Amino acid sequence: MSARPSANPLDRLGRLLLYAILGSLAILTLLPFIWMACAAVKTEAAFFTSQFLPRGDGWLGIAWEDLTLRQFRRLFTEFPIGRALLHSVFFASVCSLGATLFCAAGGYALAKFRFRGRGLITTAILGTVVLPSSLLLGPGFEMLYHLGLVDTYAGVILPAITPAFGLYLFRQAMLNSVPSDILESARIDGAGELRIFFQIVLPIVRPMISAYLIIAFIGTWNNFITPQIILQSPERHPLAVAIFNLRGLYGSEYSLIMAGTLVAIAPVMVLFLLLQKEFISGLTSGAVKG
Amino acid sequence: MLRFQSFGLVLVTVLAAVSTTLVLLQPVEPQDGLQYWTFDRSHAQVASAAAANWNPRHPDLPVRVTTLTGPTLLTRMLSGFYSDTPVGDMIEVERGQIGQVFAGPVQDIGFVDLTDRIDRDGLRAAINAPSLSPWSLHGRNYGLPHDVHPTMLLYRSDLVEAAGIDVRQIETWDDYFRVMRPLFRDHDGDGRPDTYLLNTSPTNMGAHEVMLLQAGGGMFDAAGQPVLNSEINVRTVARMVVWMAGPNRMTADAPVSGPSAIKLAGEGYMLAFLAPDWFAGAIKKELPNLAGKLKFMPLPAWERGGRRTSVLGGTMVGITKACRQPDEAWAFIKHLYFAPETARRLYATFCIVSPIKSNWSLACYDEPDPYFSGQPVGRLFLNLAGDVPERIPSPFYASATTVLSAAIVGSCRHVDRHGITDPAAVEPEVRRRLDAAQAELLGIMQRNVFVAGRAP
Amino acid sequence: MKSGRPHAPLTPWVFLAPYLAGFTLFFAWPLVRSLVLATEQTYGPKVTVYVGLLNFRSILGDPMFWTAVGNTALFTACSLLVQVPVALGLALLLNRPDIRGRRFFRLAFFSPSIVGLAFVAIIFGLLLEKRTGLVNTSLHTLLPAWDPDFPWRENYVMISLVGSTLWLSAGFYMVYFLAALQNVPRELLDAASIDGAGSWQRFRHVTLPEIRPVLNIIVLLVITGSFQLFELPYVLYNDTYGSGPENRALTVVTYLYRTGFHSGDLGYASAIGWVLTLFLVGFALVHRHLTRREET
Repeated sequence: MSARPSANPLDRLGRLLLYAILGSLAILTLLPFIWMACAAVKTEAAFFTSQFLPRGDGWLGIAWEDLTLRQFRRLFTEFPIGRALLHSVFFASVCSLGATLFCAAGGYALAKFRFRGRGLITTAILGTVVLPSSLLLGPGFEMLYHLGLVDTYAGVILPAITPAFGLYLFRQAMLNSVPSDILESARIDGAGELRIFFQIVLPIVRPMISAYLIIAFIGTWNNFITPQIILQSPERHPLAVAIFNLRGLYGSEYSLIMAGTLVAIAPVMVLFLLLQKEFISGLTSGAVKG
Repeated sequence: MLRFQSFGLVLVTVLAAVSTTLVLLQPVEPQDGLQYWTFDRSHAQVASAAAANWNPRHPDLPVRVTTLTGPTLLTRMLSGFYSDTPVGDMIEVERGQIGQVFAGPVQDIGFVDLTDRIDRDGLRAAINAPSLSPWSLHGRNYGLPHDVHPTMLLYRSDLVEAAGIDVRQIETWDDYFRVMRPLFRDHDGDGRPDTYLLNTSPTNMGAHEVMLLQAGGGMFDAAGQPVLNSEINVRTVARMVVWMAGPNRMTADAPVSGPSAIKLAGEGYMLAFLAPDWFAGAIKKELPNLAGKLKFMPLPAWERGGRRTSVLGGTMVGITKACRQPDEAWAFIKHLYFAPETARRLYATFCIVSPIKSNWSLACYDEPDPYFSGQPVGRLFLNLAGDVPERIPSPFYASATTVLSAAIVGSCRHVDRHGITDPAAVEPEVRRRLDAAQAELLGIMQRNVFVAGRAP
Repeated sequence: MKSGRPHAPLTPWVFLAPYLAGFTLFFAWPLVRSLVLATEQTYGPKVTVYVGLLNFRSILGDPMFWTAVGNTALFTACSLLVQVPVALGLALLLNRPDIRGRRFFRLAFFSPSIVGLAFVAIIFGLLLEKRTGLVNTSLHTLLPAWDPDFPWRENYVMISLVGSTLWLSAGFYMVYFLAALQNVPRELLDAASIDGAGSWQRFRHVTLPEIRPVLNIIVLLVITGSFQLFELPYVLYNDTYGSGPENRALTVVTYLYRTGFHSGDLGYASAIGWVLTLFLVGFALVHRHLTRREET
């Protein structure tokens, strides 16, 4: 990048203005998070006397004695938030692994093989990408009912591991980056099909695997409607449903609700910060070439 | 070595392995005995106390009490009725949610018909008659009432008396707003009133229903047909909306729990509340700073000589068809709801009065309550119990509430826009909107083949 | 494909089978079922009655449904008018070559998209709260005349919904625009500068045509996404089961959800789902027609 020295004072002013705009927009964007974090550690009384942290005589002018981790302690002792956290991790990790594996295999088959019915299957699957997911809520629930899967873990996981969008992404990745010649020569060398898939194909689409994994993980973590419909027993609820219920029963205890919401979004925030490059490149790969 | 691994993949795989193990290792809670579901923490305390008394005598069939939030209980209960997922043996249902239970064919109602049991055990005469009505469809009873919830007016006696106002001159709502008007003012001169006269607002559907029922209106007639645009509803709504909107607006909503409620109460933000018995219990707990500053009076009537009370909220308990020991469940819910011990506990903890007439002679109801300026609150409520209006349940209760609320909010906007202060001036608009609401509700009802096709 | 040593004929099916099994069971078959269900009235999956086209006839005359369509369309239009320009604006600001800390800004703007809609609804419910919410308290601090009791949620349903989705998704679409902007050849922009084009003209005649394909896709994504709005109003207005005051927050999918899972009528819900599908397919066709014409 060519950072030209800007001697022109007008230019400098412009740059200053630009940073001021960007900075205030960034603060505005992050403000709800900051406010929520402050509210979660404030005592209920301090909630009404200060917008962010209560002011006082302590270090940095903050009334540290009015801050407490009590709400977090309550979440994990009085309320089953620990269990909901476990279920969120469970659903998100299992669904994202399953979806990645199934979609990669399916996408590979549709991209790199010729067989009867391929065109029909591809069209049928990709066609469902445009259908609204709510169309299948009713009949999907009915199906789970007939299979005896309502209120089971399998009822949440099985329908989540064959997303049409995932298949589309992997099929694209296979078409774009897996050369057929390599597959041919591997077969000639006598490699088994599974070996070809795991040792040649998957390493080539490795960026897509990382990207899709995290996309699916965060998507499942944030899914509210599916577990809300399928899981009846509260001992199986993930965070999205558990926090919703917590708000229903303890709506006026703001600090508690904020602490709960913070617990619910912090893990995926951390995961996103760790894997943001993969995540963003995966998101944009579907729409932007290159 | 797998060459497609990455940090993300390893991380997610480890998370999956650990969480799967932990999920599988979760202890499975025992599901023996009779499951009792409720949506309210305080109801659960009462039920648990009764269960603690019951269980030693029934070691092979103990009662287990579970508390769920309202929406969760509704989803789980309906899911159980619709698709046989596990559901409690006895479930407490709140008045706002009972309609859904009656939405399918009669034979598919998820609760056991208790009519014959009630008559066989001679309980009908023992129960406050209007309190059975919300849980009965076409003359069949599907639940026992938990409460009566008569409603009175709870007012700031300190402010009223300091202003030298005598509440005995108040008989009607018009009296009320006229007499109290001097207290509705802007103390600090910031252009906003600091004391409102009643806790209702254009969107407060609970308050609207209280007032409509009191006036003799409501949403459904005894046959379950909608009567949203009845003459009495039109007249009552027209009178309500000019208090809630327009230049003469004198009401607002006030929070009654949490720190901001305490602060507002201290500032005298609300002069009076529409207060059922449970509200008395709640405000006592939530607003300790109002001790000695509140008194009850019967609701002002709509017309001279009119009804001085109404009803808000309510709960029943029913036995689900999934229950395999309905006789034992029946014995338990009778034990729970009829015992004087339950009545005493409900009153002591929540100010809720019993729907069971034999409990009305309990001494606790006559004790003066220092929080409410020494009034015998229980007795005041019980004096009105027989006058509580009947409520007709309907599968379309939620739809009716929605369209009615839209009509009221729309009328309030009309009042705001045209600066109306006279109820007669807004009546045509109210009528037009209630007619539209009625037509809309009829359309929704005709669509339901299960309910439309069944004999009234 | 060249013909070297061929794979066994069953090989692709082995790879496809797990996906296909799940897809058939949980997508294809329910999709077929939804057509049948749309002609039935149900009370949960157990009790069903055939009603022919009654559901569709009822939808046409169902004011609640059309209220929901109206709200959803209004929301979609507002989202389109707000989200796309804001996202593009952010991307343009961040795309200036002399910006330091671009990674930080990108991260900051994008971070809300990680938060699920249900959580966003809870956060905004608290932010917009009367008296205690950040929005009212800050406005009251800045303008003392501002009423701290101002009922955002009640009075400004659409502003609340559009505002919270803007917070959620501006950064999300910004990332797409940024990726597209970085693919705009520098030489083209430099050539335009040399020809004396101002920044607006450069944007209008060089940048915009280059990012047009991405812009088109985002417009379609915003439309189809907004038209399926559900979790946000459902959680934000949970006290009224997602309708909000005067049904002003009721969306098509909320109505579908309530019909299917509160009233147990999976049939009517399916019929609503098909009408929704028709809308979406209609948008996609119009969109394709317009973008095609643009290209030629």
